[in-house]
Amino acid sequence: MASPAIDNISADLIWEVVRNNNSFLTKSKRNGGVQFSRDPLNLINKNTRKHAGFVNDKAIGVVRNEKGFTVITKKPSAPTKPKEAFLKSEHSGNNSSRKAYKSVANQTAKNGYRPDLREAAVQRVSAIRQSQRPVKPEPETKLRGKRAQKAKEAESA
Amino acid sequence: MASRPTVSIIGKDGAATGNTHPMPAVFSSPIRPDIVQEVHKGMAKNKRQPYAVSEKAGHQTSAESWGTGRAVARIPRVSGGGTHRAGQAAFGNMCRSGRMFAPTKIWRKWHVKVNQGQKRYATCSALAASAAAPLLMARGHQVMTVAEVPLVIDSGIFEAGSVLKTAGSVAILKAVGAGPDIDKVKGSKKLRAGKGKLRGRRHRQRRGPLVVYDPAVDGKELVKGFRNIPGVESCPVTALNLLQLAPGGHLGRFVVWTSAAFKALDEIYGSTTEPSAHKRDFLLPSNVVSQADLTRLINSSEIQSSLNAPKGDALTRRSAVQKKNPLINKQVMLRLNPYASQYAKEAQKSTKE
Repeated sequence: MASPAIDNISADLIWEVVRNNNSFLTKSKRNGGVQFSRDPLNLINKNTRKHAGFVNDKAIGVVRNEKGFTVITKKPSAPTKPKEAFLKSEHSGNNSSRKAYKSVANQTAKNGYRPDLREAAVQRVSAIRQSQRPVKPEPETKLRGKRAQKAKEAESA
Repeated sequence: MASRPTVSIIGKDGAATGNTHPMPAVFSSPIRPDIVQEVHKGMAKNKRQPYAVSEKAGHQTSAESWGTGRAVARIPRVSGGGTHRAGQAAFGNMCRSGRMFAPTKIWRKWHVKVNQGQKRYATCSALAASAAAPLLMARGHQVMTVAEVPLVIDSGIFEAGSVLKTAGSVAILKAVGAGPDIDKVKGSKKLRAGKGKLRGRRHRQRRGPLVVYDPAVDGKELVKGFRNIPGVESCPVTALNLLQLAPGGHLGRFVVWTSAAFKALDEIYGSTTEPSAHKRDFLLPSNVVSQADLTRLINSSEIQSSLNAPKGDALTRRSAVQKKNPLINKQVMLRLNPYASQYAKEAQKSTKE
């Protein structure tokens, strides 16, 4: 369970070390000093203990790729082996949203992985998918009343 | 600590050689960012060179105050006439071309003595932090592709002499998964803001992996292969430096060990009970809390068995709530007087008759 192989380190300790300063943290003086995280394993991009994926033993991240999104999970049994610990699974944008949500929800909450992150994971998938949808062109405004009459006259003239 | 974990030794092609080495005891030292920051702050000051403004600056004029009665401030004023300078205020820190406030002196206290015990504690702490992948990521190292942390590569590679060339060294670092970290450094080179550009600090860039070798086994030649790779530094295991192990006082430098250097750690640092062979009377610092995992502590049978059972029922009545009028609220009346319902029924009966 302990993060690396040694007993002197745990996610709790690491969080206390990095909570005020780490490479993912972006601090701002505006907006009441709001703090965000750029951690790919952070679902809501907030610098909190629950969502700090690089600290926690089990974490899930949803990152967009060209067509769909990639889900990154962390294997708790290999804390000292980053190459094995970070598991990536790609999801294409072709299947339906409902199926995408379902698979991500299962990945987060099944087998007691991180049920507390399910809602955030699904929300992130939804946001990514929405951003990938083609933008519909705005329909041309129909002219009404006097303007419509004028346009008609101009056309006939 | 139940059993000492082992670390696999990685070969030239990036695959494990199959050999392993037990984790040296120094990696279970306490992680103390406070100590590391303090020691780093002191040590970083010890390379400074004195600077000061000229002793004469702002005083190379024979200015005298005009005294009172001339309707000007009593600040010293440059004497004479014929130039614009005459009559201008001088000397004061608020004056144009005056002396600065509290002119800097070369006898400022530039260097800080840091106690040896503290320096050793900090080094051990920084080493322990270099074995925690989350701390490396928090420092900004790209370690997602690295096979194992701590990363130990076989010393046999360096015997062949192929690593004398930079290309060979780069190939090894890339094979063991340190490629992204080197690339990150390469892309990070920026022009420094400010006057530092003119003072020999033209560029600033990130730090990459630190290669730690054992000069007795690996020889010093391998340094030549690594020294021209941007961001990569090398250091003999016998002279580890906190400024390299925790740059900026931030824990978690990405360290690449040669297997000889990794093996030497136990001899150099000893353990919490066995004194070190090279540092006189030095025992490794031990942890105050031997189990750092809070969830595990809370859920342990020792803690759970000594806890008091929760007091009260599963549902407790709230203490401070609005008082209800029993004459209006029937349920409250029933609670006060269980016979009230019977009274009510009888009263209904009597009115019917």
